[in-house]
Amino acid sequence: MNMGPQHPSAHGVFRAILTLEGETVVGVDAVIGYLHRCHEKLGETLTYVQYPSIASKTDYVAAMTAELAYVSAVELVGKIEVPKRAQWLRVLAAELQRVASHCLWLGTWCMDMGGALGGGATVFLYAIREREDILDLFEALTGARLLYGFHQPGGTRYDLPAGWAEQCRKALDRVERRLDEYEAMLDDNAFFLVRTQGVGIISRELAQEIGVSGPLLRGSGVNHDLRKAAPYSSYEDFQFRVPVETAGDCFARYRVRMVEFRESITIARQVLDGLPEGPISSRPGVKSVGQVRVPKGEGYARVEGARGEVGCYLVADGGPKPYRLKWRGASFSNLSVLPHILPGVKVADVVAIMGSVDPVFGEVDR
Amino acid sequence: MTLPPLAYHALVGFVVLNVVIGMVTYVTLLERKFAARMQSRIGPYYVGPHGLLQPIADAIKLMLKEDVVPTTADRWVYNLAPIVFLVPCVLIFATLPFAPGLGVADLNIGVLFFLAVSSLEIVGLFMGGWGSNNKYALLSAMRAVNQIISYDLPFVFAAFVPVVLAGSLQMSAIVAAQQGVWLGFVPKWFVVYPVIGQLAFVAFLVATLAAENRVPFDILEAESELVAGFRVEYSGMKFALIQLGEYAHMIGTSFLAALLFLGGWLGPGSEHALVGALWFLLKAMLVFLVVTWVRWSFVRIRVDQILAISWKLLLPASIVLLLATAFWVAARGGHGV
Amino acid sequence: MVSDGFWTETGQLVRAVGRAMGVTFKNLLRRPITVRYPTVKRVYPDRFRGLLALTYDPQTGEENCIGCRLCEYICPPTVIKVEMLKAEKRNFAKSFTLELYACEFCELCVQVCPTDAIIMMKSFDLATADRRELLLDKDRLHALGLQFDPSWATGNRLRDMQAPPKPAKAPAHAPEPVSAEQSSPDRRAPEAASAAQTSPDRRAPEPTSAEQSSPDRRASEAASAAQTSPDRRAPEPGEGAPTAKSE
Repeated sequence: MNMGPQHPSAHGVFRAILTLEGETVVGVDAVIGYLHRCHEKLGETLTYVQYPSIASKTDYVAAMTAELAYVSAVELVGKIEVPKRAQWLRVLAAELQRVASHCLWLGTWCMDMGGALGGGATVFLYAIREREDILDLFEALTGARLLYGFHQPGGTRYDLPAGWAEQCRKALDRVERRLDEYEAMLDDNAFFLVRTQGVGIISRELAQEIGVSGPLLRGSGVNHDLRKAAPYSSYEDFQFRVPVETAGDCFARYRVRMVEFRESITIARQVLDGLPEGPISSRPGVKSVGQVRVPKGEGYARVEGARGEVGCYLVADGGPKPYRLKWRGASFSNLSVLPHILPGVKVADVVAIMGSVDPVFGEVDR
Repeated sequence: MTLPPLAYHALVGFVVLNVVIGMVTYVTLLERKFAARMQSRIGPYYVGPHGLLQPIADAIKLMLKEDVVPTTADRWVYNLAPIVFLVPCVLIFATLPFAPGLGVADLNIGVLFFLAVSSLEIVGLFMGGWGSNNKYALLSAMRAVNQIISYDLPFVFAAFVPVVLAGSLQMSAIVAAQQGVWLGFVPKWFVVYPVIGQLAFVAFLVATLAAENRVPFDILEAESELVAGFRVEYSGMKFALIQLGEYAHMIGTSFLAALLFLGGWLGPGSEHALVGALWFLLKAMLVFLVVTWVRWSFVRIRVDQILAISWKLLLPASIVLLLATAFWVAARGGHGV
Repeated sequence: MVSDGFWTETGQLVRAVGRAMGVTFKNLLRRPITVRYPTVKRVYPDRFRGLLALTYDPQTGEENCIGCRLCEYICPPTVIKVEMLKAEKRNFAKSFTLELYACEFCELCVQVCPTDAIIMMKSFDLATADRRELLLDKDRLHALGLQFDPSWATGNRLRDMQAPPKPAKAPAHAPEPVSAEQSSPDRRAPEAASAAQTSPDRRAPEPTSAEQSSPDRRASEAASAAQTSPDRRAPEPGEGAPTAKSE
C-alpha cells in the first residue's frame, strides 16, 4: 500500500510504500526527494550575505535554527566574533521558534490521529492560534512570519523594536496558560493514551545506533541536548533543564516536547530579563553582496533545532562564496529510524508514529 | 378530514419527509457553526447572512457536480447503495411522534420498529463499499459493519431501559409515562431516575456515537488513513444522498434519545401540539449538540480498541443495567412510578 | 469484571473525558480570533515586509534610484534587473524590472540601497489572475510606492540598526539618532561600559502608535495611519511633481 506523496498525513511530500499483512505493516520502503531544491548547490552560488535568507527554507517550520546553523558555520570557519547582545537575541529567536515549531507539531499530530473533522482538528486550531501569537512577534521583529532572514554572519540583522519585550512577555504568558489546557485535554485522555503509549518504541540502542537526535533521542533515555552538551551562542548563560523520558514510545516523545515547550518559555524569559545592550552585529550592515569573505578552512557547526541536531559543514576557499556546503538535516536522520520501528505495527499506528517523529521535508530533501 | 385515509397519510408522510430533509440540511450548518465556535473561529459566514444559506449552496453544488462512476464498479450495487442507505435512515422518522397526534404513525411497537429499521442502513453501507470496487472502500465498509453490529446490541439494551420503565413499546406511551413532576419542579424524565437513568442515557449516547460512525469511533472514515471510507467513490448527488442519510440517522437517534430519556414533548405549555413539538425539537437539538461536542473533543481510537470497548465494557454494562431495571420495576409492582 | 481496577479505570476515563470536554466548552465561550479579511484588516507591524516599490525624494520630487545595481547583485533569486542611465550630476535607472512572482521578500535589496530608493510596503494586496501583472516595471513600482503605506525599513535605517556603533559624529537629522559612542572601534563591545551611553537608542525610532498586538487584530486601519515619521516618500499627488525628471 502506498502512502503516497500526497497524503493528508504525510507531513510534507513523503512516500512510504508499506507492505501489509492484513492490518499489520511488515515492510517499509521510504522514498524521499520530492522536495529537493539543491540547497547545497545554491550554497556554492550564493554568497555568505545572501544565503542566510535561503537557509531558513531548509527547515521552514523552525527557520531560525536553520539560519543559525549556517551562520554559525560561517563564523566558525571565518573566526568572526559575535557580540553578546546578538548571541542573546539569537537564543531568544531560537527558543521562540522552538515553541512555534512544537505548536505546529502538536496540532498536526493530533489532527492526523483525530481526523480533520474531529477532535484532532480542535487541538490543531488551538495550537495554530498559539503559534500565531509567536509569529506575530516575529513579524514585529523582522517583518516576515515564516522565513525570516534574521541572521547574518557576525550577528543579527534586526534589533528589538520599542515595546516588543512587553508584547513578548504577554505572548509567552498566554502560551503558557494555553499549554495547561492542552495538557488537560490530552495527558490523561484515555483515547490519546491508548493510541500513543507503547506505540513506536525506539530503544536506546537503536536510537544511538541510527543517529537520531532531538526529542526522539531524549524520549528514548539518552540525555543529549546540544544546548548543554556543546553550548553555542551563550546558551551556557541560561538555566534550563533537559527533559528525558525512558519509555521510547510516542507518548514519551510527546512528554519530552511538552516539557521543552515550558523550558523554552523559561529561557526566553531569562533572555528578556537580562538582555545586554550593545551592537547586534560585529560587521557593518549589509551593503554589498560580497562583503563577507571567509579565509580558507573548513568546519562543522551544529545547533539544537526543534527536531534535533541541525548541522552545517562549510568548506571555504577565501572568496565571498563557500566552496562546499553540506547540510545535516535533523529530520533526515530521524526518518531513517522508520524501517526499524514500523514493521509490526498496525496501519493506524503508522500515522501516530510519523507524527511523533515530526519530519520536515525541507530538511530531509534539502 | 375529507381525504381518503390513504391519501391523508401519504400527504402527512410527504410533509414530514420534507420537513425532515430540510431540518437535516440545516443541522449540518448548526454543527459547523457550533464546532467553529469551539475552535475559536466562526463557521460559514459569507453565504447569506451569517452563513444561513450555506446548506442551500452546498446542496446546489452537489446537484451540479458530475457523477463519476468507476468503470469497474458493480453498477447495480453501486447505484442502489445510496438509496438503500437513505431509505431506512428517513423511514425511522415515520414512527416518531412529534406531539400527541402529530406524527405519521404511532405504532404500538414503535421503538422496536425504529431500532430494527435503523440497523438496515448497514446493508446500504456495505453495498456502497462493495460496489465501489476499491480496496479502501471495502476495507472501511468491513470495519463499519463490524463496528455497527457490535454496537447495535448495547444500543438496543440501553434503549430498552425506558421501555421497561414505561412498560410499553409505543412511543407516545413512553412519553406519557414521563409526565408529572416530583417535588414540584423535578420533571419525571427517565434520565432523572437515580443511577439507572443517567447510566442508560450515557450508554445510549456512546452506542449512538459508535453506531453512527462518529468520532471518537469514526475509524470508518479516518480521513488521514482511508480518506472518507466507503463513500470515497461517490460524487455529486449520490454523495449528497449518503450524507443526508447519515445526518438523518443522527437526528433520528437524537430525537429518539430526547423521547426516551428527556421526556419528548413534555414541558411547560405542552398541551398545545405545536409547543410540544417545539420542546421536542429543542431537546433533540440539545442531544445533538452534546454529540457534536464530544465529536470535536477527542481523537479517534483504533478499530480493535473500539470493538474491545463494545464487547468488554458496554455490552455487559448495558445488560446488567437492563436486568437491574427489570428487577426494580418488578419489585415496585409494575410500572408507573 | 467488577473489580477495583475496573472502577478506578472507569473513574479516570470519566474524569479525562470531562476535562477534555471542559476545555472545548471553555473555548466555545471565548471570542473567535478570526479576522474577517478583507472587510476587516489587521494592523500590520511597522517592519512588515510587503510589496516592493520605488520612491521619490520628498524634497525635490526626483526619483531616488541612482541605478547603481547593488540590489540586482544582492538579490538571491536574481529577480531585479536594472539598467543605469548616466546623466549630469547624478545617475538614474533607465529601466528597472522586478519579478514579484519570484521574489523571496528577504529585504536584502532594501538593505543595500544607498539612497533608500527601493522599499517595502505594509501591504501585500496585489493578487492577480495573470502572472504577467506581477512583472513590475519602473512605472508600476513607482505607482505602488504611492499607493500603499511604506514599511519602516529603509536601507539606511536597516544598515544603521545592524552596524556596530560608529565613533561619535554630529547628530544626524531626526529619523536616525546615531548613538554617540565611545571612539574605540571595539566591535565586540557589548559590555556595560558601552551600554551606559547607548541605552535605548540602538533601536531606531518607530512610530509608537501602530504597535501591533494580538487582541488588536481587528483594529481598523485608522490606527496604522499614524505612521508619519519623516521619510522619503514621494509627495502626495497634487502636492509636488510626482513625475520624475528622467527620460
